[in-house]
Amino acid sequence: MSRCLAMLAFAALAVLVPLRAAHSTETVVIGSKNFTESVVLGEVARLAAKEHGVEVEHRRGLGGTRILWRALLGGDIDAYPEYTGTLVHELLHDVPPDAGIPLLRERLKQLGIGITASLGFNDTYAIGMREDEARRLHIRGISDLAGHPDLQLAFSNEFMNRADGWPGLKAAYHLPMGARGMDHDLAYRALASGAVDAIDLYSTDAEIAYYHLRVLKDDLHYFPRYEAVYLYRLDLEQRAPNFAAVLNRLEGSIDAQRMRAMNKAVKIDGKSETSVAANFLGVEAEPGSDGGFWPRMARYTAQHLALVGISLTLAIVLAVPLGVLAARRRRLGQIVIGLTGILQTVPSLALFVFMIPLFGIGAKPAIAALFLYSLLPIVRNTHAGLTGIQPSLLESAAALGLPPRVRLWRVELPLALRSILAGVKIAAVINVGTATLGALIGAGGYGQPILTGIRLDSIPLIMEGAVPAALLALVMQGVFELIERALTPRGLRLRAMS
Amino acid sequence: MPASLESSTKLPDSAFALVRATRAFGTTRAVDDVSLDFARGHTSTLIGTSGSGKSTLLRMLIGLEWPTAGEVRCDGEPLRREDVLEVRRRVGYVIQDGGLFPHLSVLGNLMLLPRHLGWKPSRIRERAGELAALAHIREELFGRFPTELSGGQRQRVALMRALMLDPPTLLLDEPLGALDPLVRHGLQDELREIFRSLGKTVIMVTHDLAEAAFFSDRLILMRRGRVLQDGSLEDFRRHPADPFVREFLAAQRTLPGAA
Repeated sequence: MSRCLAMLAFAALAVLVPLRAAHSTETVVIGSKNFTESVVLGEVARLAAKEHGVEVEHRRGLGGTRILWRALLGGDIDAYPEYTGTLVHELLHDVPPDAGIPLLRERLKQLGIGITASLGFNDTYAIGMREDEARRLHIRGISDLAGHPDLQLAFSNEFMNRADGWPGLKAAYHLPMGARGMDHDLAYRALASGAVDAIDLYSTDAEIAYYHLRVLKDDLHYFPRYEAVYLYRLDLEQRAPNFAAVLNRLEGSIDAQRMRAMNKAVKIDGKSETSVAANFLGVEAEPGSDGGFWPRMARYTAQHLALVGISLTLAIVLAVPLGVLAARRRRLGQIVIGLTGILQTVPSLALFVFMIPLFGIGAKPAIAALFLYSLLPIVRNTHAGLTGIQPSLLESAAALGLPPRVRLWRVELPLALRSILAGVKIAAVINVGTATLGALIGAGGYGQPILTGIRLDSIPLIMEGAVPAALLALVMQGVFELIERALTPRGLRLRAMS
Repeated sequence: MPASLESSTKLPDSAFALVRATRAFGTTRAVDDVSLDFARGHTSTLIGTSGSGKSTLLRMLIGLEWPTAGEVRCDGEPLRREDVLEVRRRVGYVIQDGGLFPHLSVLGNLMLLPRHLGWKPSRIRERAGELAALAHIREELFGRFPTELSGGQRQRVALMRALMLDPPTLLLDEPLGALDPLVRHGLQDELREIFRSLGKTVIMVTHDLAEAAFFSDRLILMRRGRVLQDGSLEDFRRHPADPFVREFLAAQRTLPGAA
């Protein structure tokens, strides 16, 4: 039995792992983080490269810094826009806080990573308040915040956690109040509605003018410099020398005002990143390639179904035998259920990120994460279904002289079937929801429009992902109820009725 | 008279035996150093209060429990784990609630083992038909599920399932215990007829002395895992081996004025 399980686990891995190696070394891939400026800079690089005859694939709007950095180191992407401050404080741990680009270049070289010179603007963190509110409270600089401990602060989750973010700021300015984490784009709306009083922002954010915000003066020069640069794999210099040259040629070409204008064009005026980037470069934007609502929806649906379907199938293949094993060996069963339970407690985004070193970015790590999430409900319900069978029935089956394997297939699994199917149904419905996070690591699906919608502050875009995801969850529920009805032997349905 | 009786008379006398067999669960001994011999073709009844070890003893005979000391013998040979499936197929086993599988129809329950053994469907049908006549089950019920049967019908089907392979031995653990008195009474008559006509070795467990005496000449009274007395009802009355035997006999209530 355990050898059988080991083989199944191996088979599951064997399906997923080679996909990582299959990534084509020929196409050049640029990534971008999940905010407008990063996506625009990604498009700028892609279109500039295209002008020089290099076809570049842009995987836009992947999750946060960690995801991009790992993908770059792992070779899943070849380049992405980054900021020097992030390198100094987050990614490289052995550089002085005042390190300039030459020192960073030297350090990155050891990792096989190249860095361009500054693109021409410093997108540093800043703290912003509504202009009218700031005037009323006479707050000009960050140090003035210390006198108003009842102010509600909301910061992006990344800012909340990074060393050069809120913890350091609070200490440097002796700020007495607490703060809570909030998505950056939602924070603007919260600020505008008065739900919070101050948020973190980037100095090139489009919303500063739109929402009439006051950027508080960094009196103590706490925030480090965040010069925008491109990071790229040094092996590009052999594989695609033109592309590396194109990236380097963009240095100094974008100042803060230009960047803010581009951000505004996308976020406020609703232009596409591609057209904004093309406009900046003075080139023709290629015609929109997503072919309208229905083809786009079909693509998201296909991607989402693939994520859910493959992960669920693999999970059933492994989890049902694990559940059987758990029911047979009590001690082992507790361990198995405990382990799958621990997997369930890993926050879903973290689990997705953990899969990147193993599977790169894209659908594979998402499938792996969803697979792990699906295990617990199925293992637990298989175990519960089998251990819940009346002992007298198990004994009758044994007393007939049926071998254990036949007892399992003809008696025990049919009697546990309802419980097993209920577990699969739970896993499927949870999976449909969790799979929307896959967009953060480039897996596509309904998460894609949700993510873009949050980024662009567009409710219709969010709905474009959220509504079909909810519908799909309902459909899954219905489908599994039909399957349950079809597979449950009539004798058991009768018992349930009586 | 079925062929099984003629062939079985040529085999050694002992169908099952326990030799100083003990089954302990932790510190309690459900069966404590018991030696018994069950002769082929006879009906014996294990009686005793609940917890006396009679069911455990029955279950030891087909390896549903294994002795922690001593041994179980089947046809004179020690029962070994590798033979246990073989032994179980030569034994029909019926428990109190019938133990029918709720997800299978009557016929599905009857077919389970023969189909595994590769019987042709026509042969299974034929055998099921014979047994239906024997157990007074209408063939229209073959498509029903256990929940759609009465308690008495369930026990009849359970008996049919136990007899599918025509095993020489029947083990019955309180087979009528869950039935109401009228059904029970009718089935007692029928079962005794069936046992007599088939000439099986029957070992039955019951806590009802009247039922035990009705089915068999040999009563085995157990208490706390041990055999207190092994003999006929007459022996029990005349020569009780222990004060408890007299107590047990006295505890069987008779109708007022019927004595």
